[in-house]
Amino acid sequence: MIHAAPIDAVMRALADPTRRAVFEQVARGGEVNVADLTRVSGVTQGAVSQHLKSLKLAGLVAERPQGRNVFYRARPEGLAPLFDWLSHYDAFWRDRFANLRDLLKEIDP
Amino acid sequence: MTDAILHADTREIVIDDVFPHAAETIWKTLTTGALMARWLNMTPHGFEPVPGNSFTYQTSPAGDWDGTIQCQVLEVVPGKLLAYSWKGGHEDNVGYGSRLDTIVTFTLEPAEGGTRLRVVHSGFVLPRNETAYRNMSGGWSQVVGRIGVVAGEQG
Repeated sequence: MIHAAPIDAVMRALADPTRRAVFEQVARGGEVNVADLTRVSGVTQGAVSQHLKSLKLAGLVAERPQGRNVFYRARPEGLAPLFDWLSHYDAFWRDRFANLRDLLKEIDP
Repeated sequence: MTDAILHADTREIVIDDVFPHAAETIWKTLTTGALMARWLNMTPHGFEPVPGNSFTYQTSPAGDWDGTIQCQVLEVVPGKLLAYSWKGGHEDNVGYGSRLDTIVTFTLEPAEGGTRLRVVHSGFVLPRNETAYRNMSGGWSQVVGRIGVVAGEQG
């Protein structure tokens, strides 16, 4: 289930250092399960599961059940809310500078 | 041509260019409501180039945001510098219309062939690291590390 999370939810999800580490592991691993993550994370399996749940709610990871296992992978598009405003204003100012050049030519030929 | 630089560390948009006009002329386009409206494509409501002055721009609404950009003049050095806050958006929005608390600073300085105008739009919560964003196999740690710093700052 793909859903877009507000920017605050994404930032909150990544503000916790342990959860961020879990997210980085998922991103690095391609597709991993809770057992794999627990081995490398240094926290309990229960804690890893909780972090994965938060990351899933924030739209940053997706899960795929397979038999008795659940595999997790990162959703790069989940980070999109963090980038959109910046690209919007980058384009905005470039465009406005072009307008300004035209306006100056007109008022000060 | 316009030269745009994205400063990943400071999370600013910086665009500057030399215009073949005197600083005073460009200053007018930055500080006269009718002229601002013509190149910004948005009419400033209530603008005065005086520190503390509050004004707004009206843009397209998105979700729970009515599209109003709230601004307050922070600094004015006639003919040289104009800075104002630029706030808008709503925390429930994603992408365009998400919460924004930024500062726009215009500076003018003499340059060969005219005047250099620089706009620095600062305060964006995150770097736009396109390489890392597109190639998630490589740049994750770097991007996520910065998110952590910023998110942490936000409490």
